[in-house]
Amino acid sequence: MKLLKNAKILDVPIIGDIVVSAGRTFLGIALGLIASGILIAITGVNPFVAYAALIKGAFGNAQAMSNVLVRASPLLLGGIAVSLGIKAGVWNTGIEGYMYLGAIGAAMVGVLDLGLPPVVHILLCFVCAAVFAGIWGAIPGYLRAYKGVNEVTSTIMLNYIAIYLTSWVVSNFSLLAQTDAFYPMSKQFLPSALLPILMPGSSLHPGPFIGIILCIVFYFVLNYTPFGFRTKMLGANPFAARYSGTNSNKQIMIIIIIGAVIGGFSGAVEVMGLKHRVFMDFVTGVGYESVAVALLAGGSPIGVVFSALFFAALKAGGATMSIETGVASSMSSIIIAMCMLFVIGVGVVDSHRLKKVVDTSKYDEADEIAEAPKGKVEK
Amino acid sequence: MQENNYALQMQDITVEFPGVLANDHVSIDCKKGEVLGLLGENGAGKTTLMNVLYGLYPPTSGKILLGGNEVHISSPSEAIENGVGMVHQHFKLVDTLSVIENVILGIPSKKQRLDLEPAKKRLLELCKEYELYVDPDEIVWRLPVGKQQWVEILKALYRDCKVLVLDEPTAVLTPAESDQLCRAIRRITADGRSVVFISHKLREVIQITDRVTVIRDGKLIGTIDTKDATQIKLAEMMVGRPVTIVRKERPVFEDKKPILVMEGVSAKDDRGIQALKNLNLIVHSGEIVGLAGVDGNGQRELAECIVGLRKLTSGSITIKDKKVNNVIADPSFVGFIPEDRQKTGLVMDFSIADNMIIKDYQNEPFAQNKILRYKVIKKHARAMIRKYNVKSPSEDVKVRNLSGGNQQKVVIARELDPEPVLDIAAHPTRGLDLGAVTNVHDILLKERNRGAAVLFISAELQEVMALSDRIIVLFGGEIMGDLNGETADQQVIGQMMLGQPLEVQK
Repeated sequence: MKLLKNAKILDVPIIGDIVVSAGRTFLGIALGLIASGILIAITGVNPFVAYAALIKGAFGNAQAMSNVLVRASPLLLGGIAVSLGIKAGVWNTGIEGYMYLGAIGAAMVGVLDLGLPPVVHILLCFVCAAVFAGIWGAIPGYLRAYKGVNEVTSTIMLNYIAIYLTSWVVSNFSLLAQTDAFYPMSKQFLPSALLPILMPGSSLHPGPFIGIILCIVFYFVLNYTPFGFRTKMLGANPFAARYSGTNSNKQIMIIIIIGAVIGGFSGAVEVMGLKHRVFMDFVTGVGYESVAVALLAGGSPIGVVFSALFFAALKAGGATMSIETGVASSMSSIIIAMCMLFVIGVGVVDSHRLKKVVDTSKYDEADEIAEAPKGKVEK
Repeated sequence: MQENNYALQMQDITVEFPGVLANDHVSIDCKKGEVLGLLGENGAGKTTLMNVLYGLYPPTSGKILLGGNEVHISSPSEAIENGVGMVHQHFKLVDTLSVIENVILGIPSKKQRLDLEPAKKRLLELCKEYELYVDPDEIVWRLPVGKQQWVEILKALYRDCKVLVLDEPTAVLTPAESDQLCRAIRRITADGRSVVFISHKLREVIQITDRVTVIRDGKLIGTIDTKDATQIKLAEMMVGRPVTIVRKERPVFEDKKPILVMEGVSAKDDRGIQALKNLNLIVHSGEIVGLAGVDGNGQRELAECIVGLRKLTSGSITIKDKKVNNVIADPSFVGFIPEDRQKTGLVMDFSIADNMIIKDYQNEPFAQNKILRYKVIKKHARAMIRKYNVKSPSEDVKVRNLSGGNQQKVVIARELDPEPVLDIAAHPTRGLDLGAVTNVHDILLKERNRGAAVLFISAELQEVMALSDRIIVLFGGEIMGDLNGETADQQVIGQMMLGQPLEVQK
């Protein structure tokens, strides 16, 4: 810690902040991996062998890497949706519900033979997904913004409603349901509504790249537009936002709806790129993992790219690790959890340290007293 | 052993927060069986001092003695062990538990089974002894606020506290409840316990306490016996500045136009209590109207009404013939220096550059085609930093890392540089050192000389008298009188601050 204090780079504005936050994250991840390594060793497996298998499973060949990207797709989209909320001071935990609604929306036009060329058909599916998820998101958005209902409660409740709505749609809704299936599911999407496969022999669809592009777009929106400024101000100090004339309620509602629309895209990408049908539990857990992704990223859109890929790599590599070394498959979840805990833990320690640094580098009040009375303010 | 006469001594306590000196070498002492009043304005550092005693903040320096022995208190549980009890301004009760459960909450017990009967018996004895009758089985949220406070006091007594700290206990009470509290305090001190009574209400302090310690801007002003004190003397100690601020020469304007016109304005405060009563006020161009009064008499609500942050229950406000019914985010129209700069005036985690534009970020030249132009924003911030002499190495520094005086300069630069027609400055010098105070005064005077209408709100009589062309005194949400700033008499203003209208005095 003393060493850190002496490092000049930390005093440089902006760069210092980035170094601190990135360093913090990597330190946390490293500690998490060490702690998980101990747990792996306790189960009787050499942790180095296990980690080698994990890395091979995630990055060993093109196939493995495409698998990581496919797994990253919903995490990227969900992560950016949650991050946007975090920046505005709201916890948009309804990604799971938005994904279901987006999938239903996409299916509404995706299973119909409209005789459209693929590009138009796909775009139409996305528009429909956005409308469905957006309207779904407007419910918690309105409740939070104008009625003061806690958004975490309402979005999670709505997630369950969305799951059972999907269940009803795929089993009883004659327009979509595949009536003769052994398991309740929707009709298959038409080929013209399916996303193209980018790498032959894999299931790599454009979803992850859409996600990365959206992360970059929102990085610019947050940092270089009045809309982003308003959003960050609302999150950093709602009182000041109100005092500066911001319509906080409207902004909160917009942010939740944007998150819902991105969540809807995420669901649409899953069904149009990977599953080709909608069924009841096609997204179990991914929506909540998005919250973890956003947390690990500290709410930063660029951070979401890295943390989503990190999550996906651990999940994909974890499967290989468990097959090759016999470690329980749940170990990859434990590794993720360990890394998260340490990143958050290191963050707390770090903020204490920062406070002290600020304290010692305070400007000398004495020369202010000497200069101020002359009244330097010339109009 | 003279030492042992004192139940509590706090010596040379200093508490420093980043950029703020909350307590500056403050010493207080409280004898056994005595009620010590701790008097000071909001933000003077009273609560901070008591939080140090209760182990919530570690003091930067200084020591605490209880019953003559030095103690180190680093958490509330240690404070309770040492016989300190505290009733916070906002009660720390679990609403959904019963009274007795709240009372025993946190008391360690070796028993595995919860047995409330002995505790109830003891509590009822205490109730009887101090005549604070509460049903031990009642759920706390069903009790009226006054009784909830009794529960807090009983909680402290149950733990056998030697020193009981009451932080602004009467703020939430009706007059009848306050009287009851008074009687209870008398009984508590009768059996040798000491009470520290924090307040900024003069009348109560005189009524209840034996001695009064006055704190201002984190510094100890003095301790006097209550029998020698008068309301006026205490008010002077509380709001006066040790250094006299000289009244500055100013040009006289002939063609004054009314800028701010308030007619029959009434409004409620956050708790829904009437804060402004049928108020009429006009502020002209080229004059500073000083709004004096003890804190909490409607000043804050008045300022918030003018800038549109608070809804009027009746009446109307116009600024330059424009009606106000929404938040004014036009910096060239009204400049508002809010009372609490860290909470409302600034986004502490934003840079100086970002804070300079929080009202103007979507307008030219800072934004063009919905894109923020950081080159312009930073250039503007650098110019402001130079012009207003903000001490900072760069415009990218977070405002959190600036000292209080420099934070205020950022607010002033943003609010006053666009040359608004009306300036509202709510306690702009609070918590600043003398140099920064003079700086703020100079700026406000320049604003007046430019032709702006300036409404200057302050509880510090000296600076109101030094700066104002007219002085308005607010008491209980009503205007007590309107005086010429040149000829106003401090005695008269003091009487008005205590609630005597000008006409009555004449």
